[in-house]
Amino acid sequence: MALIAEISELLQKGKAKNVKALVQQALDENMDPKEILNDGLLAGMMTIGAKFKNNEVFVPEVLVAARAMNAGLTVLEPKLVEIGNEPVGKAVIGTVQGDLHDIGKNLVVMMLKGAGFEIHDLGVDVAPDAFIDKAEEVDADVICMSALLTTTMPRMQDCVDRLKERGLRDKYIVMIGGAPVNDSFAEQIGADYYTPDAASAAETAKEAVLKVKGKNA
Amino acid sequence: MTNRENFLSLLRRRGFERVPVEFSLCPHLVEVCKEKLGVDDYVEYFGMPWRNVEDLRLLDYDVEKYRKYYEKKPLAEGADIDLLGVGHEKSPNSMHMTYMRHPMELFNSVEEIESYPFPDYASADGSHQAEQVRRIKEQDLIALGNMQTTIWESAWYMRSMEELFCDMMAEDEMAEVLLDKVTELSLIRAKAYVKAGVDVLFLGDDIGMQHTIMMSEELYCTWLKPRLKKIIDEVKKINPEVIVFYHSCGFVEPLIPHLIEAGIDVLNPIQSECMDFEEIYRKYGDKISFHGTIGTQTVMPHGTPKEVKETVWRNLDIAGDKGGLFVAPTHLLEPEVPFENILAYVDACRTYKK
Repeated sequence: MALIAEISELLQKGKAKNVKALVQQALDENMDPKEILNDGLLAGMMTIGAKFKNNEVFVPEVLVAARAMNAGLTVLEPKLVEIGNEPVGKAVIGTVQGDLHDIGKNLVVMMLKGAGFEIHDLGVDVAPDAFIDKAEEVDADVICMSALLTTTMPRMQDCVDRLKERGLRDKYIVMIGGAPVNDSFAEQIGADYYTPDAASAAETAKEAVLKVKGKNA
Repeated sequence: MTNRENFLSLLRRRGFERVPVEFSLCPHLVEVCKEKLGVDDYVEYFGMPWRNVEDLRLLDYDVEKYRKYYEKKPLAEGADIDLLGVGHEKSPNSMHMTYMRHPMELFNSVEEIESYPFPDYASADGSHQAEQVRRIKEQDLIALGNMQTTIWESAWYMRSMEELFCDMMAEDEMAEVLLDKVTELSLIRAKAYVKAGVDVLFLGDDIGMQHTIMMSEELYCTWLKPRLKKIIDEVKKINPEVIVFYHSCGFVEPLIPHLIEAGIDVLNPIQSECMDFEEIYRKYGDKISFHGTIGTQTVMPHGTPKEVKETVWRNLDIAGDKGGLFVAPTHLLEPEVPFENILAYVDACRTYKK
């Protein structure tokens, strides 16, 4: 257990090499890969996320922690596949059509990964139907859209409208974010959630997916 | 007061007679301006108070030398490369915006940064600058040296934000060498502008996000503040009267005292969606002046002309008789801003009564 706690601690400090080595050590000691993931790597990311939300740490701390998580995952992932570990959910994410800003979107990707999601990142300038096609292809739970410009915010509406037209609106949780976006805009376009920062996005996505899965179980 | 006297007095918080008008239009709105007003040069038409002085002219403009830095991760077809070697990929959907690519993204040694062909500003030609300044001042206008993305942003554009932040967090020498080099180049350009006699030097690096600062105060003070201060100290040695504007998007409140210590005179743009101008003015209005405050995420695109006007007047009232607010939209005006709102902003400035 001390080893797992140490993985979480070192991850929060962004010590990628140490995290990788300790994950390997934990596996060598036959510890449960799920426990290493949930109580080590993801617990560390959750703590960083909470601090980020409270303005105790900022983007750089999140970046180095995410790199440490990824370093640990390179060792751990083959084992997780082996035991058939399921992700919390699957998220399709991208910056909307006409918008090429991806710093915020990439932070959300890191935090979602840290919350245990399988991520399908479509990058920038993503057409409304491209979000939906990908979600259908990978059987996603959540569609996350980002926009930095007031000019490109209407593309979020387009995606929601296309979901409706394709008869798929209720199949996906739609989340939006980005500097000019807010709650009332989410309500106006019929998105499910707006979150103001990357950590809240991951938290909300997880809660929403667990709620839906709980209902369907 | 002449226009120049009025502008300088306003920014030095020594009173003003008129409220200058200033904004930038996206290419679409430039066309709208042509259609509606028959105006080609909106800067001239609306009587903006300043004009840019051209930067130092590099002797070697060839950017093809940077193409090799994209061999492993090729640039999209039709991408441009700028003078720092930063790649700009375009999309038919993205108007005037580009997707930036970073020539140093895959670097992993100090030597690679040291051997990078940075633009050679030390041997660049600045012989045009003094003459341009003279002509601008002759027309009763303010001469502006615009060199935003001064240190941090230029370095991040070259290295990528993620890599540069990680270098800084690891206290990697690569960050130090890159930031020093960028500071050195910016210092050469800044000194040339100020020696040529510009009234305003416009610096800037984004250090704010919508609701938080981009990095901790500690990281900012370790890596960026001393470098910004160095540039400002040096130019003020040449001309203590030069007015230093500084731009950062977003919420930067905890960093404002540091910017003041670094020597800035005017802070831009005070995004109304991120910071409360009244509070910022109350706290810092005796030490620095402000440029901007009219939100381009809210009132400019979504407000009515009346709301635009009221916001302009309210903010001018906050600054009061001595001035200290060069009121303007916070950012470039994008296609969805109604033309009537632009006219309302202009009208509000022109009809403001103290």
